[in-house]
Amino acid sequence: MARLIRSEKEVEGRVEEVWLVVDEDALDQWPAGPRTVVGRPTARQDAYARARGEARFTADLHFPGMLHAAVLRSPFARARVVRLDLAPALAAPGVRAAVGPGEAPGLSRECEHQGAAVAAVCADTFQQARAALARVEVTWEELEPLLDPDEAVARGSLLEEPRRRERGSLERGLAEADVVVEATYRTQTVLHNALETHQTICRVEGDVLEVYTSTQYVWGVRARVASALGLPPDKVRVVCEYMGGGFGAKNGPDDATFVAAVLARRTGRPVRCMLTRREEMVAAGNRNATIQRLVAGARSDGTLTALGGEYVNAVGASGWNAMIEGPMLMLYECPNVRTTTYGAKLNLPPARAFRAPGFVEGTFGLECLLDELAARLELDPLELRRRNHADREPGGGKPYSSKELAECYRRAEPHWARRDEVRARSTATVKRGVGLASQVWFGGGGPPSYAWIRVGSDARATVVTAMQDVGTGTKTTMAMVAAEELGIPVEHVTVAVGDSLRGPYATLSAGSSTTSSIAPAVRAAAADAKRQILDMARDRYGEDVAELDLAELLSLLGDAQILGTGSRGPNPAGMTVLTFGVQVAEVAVDVETGEVTVERIAAIHDVGRVINPLGASSQVEGGIVQGIGHTLSEERLVDPRLGQVLTTTLDAYRMPTIADVPEIVTELVDAPDPQLGNLGAKGIGEPPIIPVAAAIANAIRDATGADVRSLPITREEMLRALAEARERTRGAAAAV
Amino acid sequence: MPELLVNGDRYALELPVGTSLAEALRERIGLTGTKVACNEGHCGACTVLVDGQPTLACITLAHRVEGREVTTIEGLRDHPLVDAFVRADAVQCGFCTPGQIVSAVALVTSSPHPSPDEIRHRMAGNLCRCGTYPKIEEAIRTWHG
Amino acid sequence: MELLRPSSLDELAAVEPGRGAFLAGGTELVPLLRDGLVETETLVDVAGLVPAGIEGTRIGAGATLAAVEADARVPDALREACRLAASPQLRAMGSIGGNLLQATRCWYWRLGYRQCRLHGGDRCLAADGEHREHAVVANDFCASAHPSDVAAALVALGATVCTTRRDLPVRDLYRLPTEEDRRTTTLEPGELLLVLDVPPADASVYLKAMDRKRWSFPLVGVAAVRRGDETTVALAGVAPVPWLDDGSLDAATPLPGTAYKLELARVLVERALAKLG
Repeated sequence: MARLIRSEKEVEGRVEEVWLVVDEDALDQWPAGPRTVVGRPTARQDAYARARGEARFTADLHFPGMLHAAVLRSPFARARVVRLDLAPALAAPGVRAAVGPGEAPGLSRECEHQGAAVAAVCADTFQQARAALARVEVTWEELEPLLDPDEAVARGSLLEEPRRRERGSLERGLAEADVVVEATYRTQTVLHNALETHQTICRVEGDVLEVYTSTQYVWGVRARVASALGLPPDKVRVVCEYMGGGFGAKNGPDDATFVAAVLARRTGRPVRCMLTRREEMVAAGNRNATIQRLVAGARSDGTLTALGGEYVNAVGASGWNAMIEGPMLMLYECPNVRTTTYGAKLNLPPARAFRAPGFVEGTFGLECLLDELAARLELDPLELRRRNHADREPGGGKPYSSKELAECYRRAEPHWARRDEVRARSTATVKRGVGLASQVWFGGGGPPSYAWIRVGSDARATVVTAMQDVGTGTKTTMAMVAAEELGIPVEHVTVAVGDSLRGPYATLSAGSSTTSSIAPAVRAAAADAKRQILDMARDRYGEDVAELDLAELLSLLGDAQILGTGSRGPNPAGMTVLTFGVQVAEVAVDVETGEVTVERIAAIHDVGRVINPLGASSQVEGGIVQGIGHTLSEERLVDPRLGQVLTTTLDAYRMPTIADVPEIVTELVDAPDPQLGNLGAKGIGEPPIIPVAAAIANAIRDATGADVRSLPITREEMLRALAEARERTRGAAAAV
Repeated sequence: MPELLVNGDRYALELPVGTSLAEALRERIGLTGTKVACNEGHCGACTVLVDGQPTLACITLAHRVEGREVTTIEGLRDHPLVDAFVRADAVQCGFCTPGQIVSAVALVTSSPHPSPDEIRHRMAGNLCRCGTYPKIEEAIRTWHG
Repeated sequence: MELLRPSSLDELAAVEPGRGAFLAGGTELVPLLRDGLVETETLVDVAGLVPAGIEGTRIGAGATLAAVEADARVPDALREACRLAASPQLRAMGSIGGNLLQATRCWYWRLGYRQCRLHGGDRCLAADGEHREHAVVANDFCASAHPSDVAAALVALGATVCTTRRDLPVRDLYRLPTEEDRRTTTLEPGELLLVLDVPPADASVYLKAMDRKRWSFPLVGVAAVRRGDETTVALAGVAPVPWLDDGSLDAATPLPGTAYKLELARVLVERALAKLG
């Protein structure tokens, strides 16, 4: 029974009130623990297709007569196009059409960052399109770029009003403290660099525009392309069956999408617009750099009395001012907290959401600061976290739907207890230590999301939902839930996703919300089908059949099918749905060369019920690997005068290789959230990346006494911190 | 010309000099299993075997492999390493996976039971942004061949 | 573009010097062509002309890094330099000769900034820009760092190279760029590397500091070689050319962002000498 309700929908910390059509969620959750299918390690359904290279990504699709587009982008951090003549490009060999400023969303004469799109041409081959771009006659007026975030704040160049959050009084809290620590932390700009670059193919068929695109949000692309082009949404079909990674950069259409769309409509031919890796590294989004000026105060027993943060997000020319203050506001019970977040508007490529945007950066600062506090208090860092555990939302807010952070801390103890043994393995030049960091994140998802299921005479089921599997294995998750509910083997469930024409609405794959939003809808659809099958059984056998031979019964169907529909029910009212965790890192630091080796990370996470432990462990490992890159080696560098990106290749921008990976031990608490829908499952995509940097930095401090305050921890930063630590020891020794 | 020998099949192609092997495979022959992620030899996604040697197809000129045996992921679809990758869940988005498997095949062909250090050393040229590395290592450690 | 395939060195000599670009493994040349950093209409395939075998102290310039790494007769420093260079695929594809001639990874050069001195311009953009990977010595005109591990090892080993024109120490393949001549190698147009002669050593080591565990250019690479009582040290990543350390690191002029490299270099040199025994 469908009804219209008003509810809260949250993604990545942004909460909005929405009207939703939901079905009553009348299903009880399954008891905790592995079941026949759910809770058991299950291989990915489409693993063979991907492994054998048979899966077709947007990059692999071909249409007869397809044209290739190339985009003219500003080489300057700030410039205006004063003269533009596309005619010479249009006359170049193979060129079929061009599109200029104002003719497609994203194309403009006013360029506020390097890589800003101005115009595009399409030709028979990509090389011809690129060669044609060189013929475009363009006169640029170069303007002085604003590149420094602190300067932007001083000048009031902000993307929105400074965001202030406060509870209690920071001054009072600091006055009440026995110990106060203050420090400034900095993090760098990092790039998503999914291996499949941003790309779209558009094709017109009658009055329908088909958009084949590498995306995390099929429906978002549909809505925005339709709106931008003035088309009814039903006349835009978005297809994404396989995509090669997004991590937040592909949450919606981008300039390549619109270029392809406009040129396809203009030429009547399919048009591919694909970013090269160089373009990807300049203009396809990033996790922005931050400056964090933090203060913490505590009583001598370790209870926090004050937390304060002044945050500067170097967001760029536009983009989202991520919630970097989230961890400080949400993680610990502390009565007096004040945060101010500035979103600096700079002539740099805009930031885009990147795996736990804001929380990765903010957790680094907060959890390093807390360890510095623990050191001053001479209190065990794990104990400090325990003593500030919040049983309800800090500041006397709403209760949690579930929170197993205390259990995470308990499970961290054996890993934490390795400290002495690890330190004992230090040598004269290589010092070893252990550090930890705690985290909070979202992951409850929410409505709307829908699924259909059909069951035929072969007793096999097909789940249909227009979601996207961005590499997280959510297709398999859906299959497992349907199989469990129907009581059939998971191999007998097919999941069809990725086509807005062929399937109901499903939410975007970001904010750790896919499993938590869509899997309950799948279960509801399977339950609907099962109800119908049981009704059929009663009709057939004239009794209440508990043990029915499903195959025999369904074989009666012939061409008939059982069709089930399901939707995601509302989130629990008056409660906060969050995920929690803690990671313990072991590092080895060569104190003469500054080389940091992460040797082991124990990751303990509470994400509600775990549906596929095999897929979940891959998410944890993947998040940790990305976290290691963020912590040790990745940095997008920009020339400080010109504002132009210098690290545009994958040999200059250094992501982790397999040789950089530590031993990773994953423990998932796997306690269903009893309040959260028919599954009690939350998302796991983002939690694992959040504590990595702080856990490593804290382990470095344990090993060497050095305070690392900026990311990445390059040789330079490590040697600086080691030298500073030696100075402090010398100073302390001299004072004796 | 050139005439390419790919997965045991011959293809006589008319290609301008400068065409990469990756382009020849993907665009001209239609073997799209080999992926291009950077097009400049930095990420390993385009790895194929040329006479058994792991080779970056994106910076290999098609004209240079004439007379040599090219093996792509399509030619390895029944290799036991594929099963090992699937069993170990060494596949996330899957874009790097064909290149990973090709490099892994080269590794186990010369060293059937490589040590963890050897695995890390010989697979370091295949980037995976999803971070599947622990499972890739496990797949190579546990393959049956 | 055309591809020439001379079948002998004589035929190669008939090709007008400087007319085309020599193509061996292609791992360096193909990307440079794509980026327009090398412009040519003619590729000259020399893979079949350059010896690729390893015999005693002689290593063909066409030998791949993987082959050199695998050969137990090759001195340790050179094997280790090969082992830690690049990626497995690049080691299987790239020739040792090509590795010696690779261009700097300086991003200003690679991105084609016309003001860059190596492009014929009048300034070093790295000097007051981003230069964390750049040179600490001989860097007043150009601050680029030489990225070849193999070159440092061969220079420390005192190797010589035989070309189509002459024999010369590997060290003399390189020159610092000057106002009059911006080249960093001394090869003449049309001159081709053929064979390396690597005299044996009593002991040799190569130590490398890089930004991730593998597949990374040297921040600092140190090759150290001992013959009897004599030790020779050469460094990668500290100067525009492979740098013989005859104590001249004391005369280093690090840029503000490269001071850490000096510290790193000194530690690695000390460790390398200690390992030599």
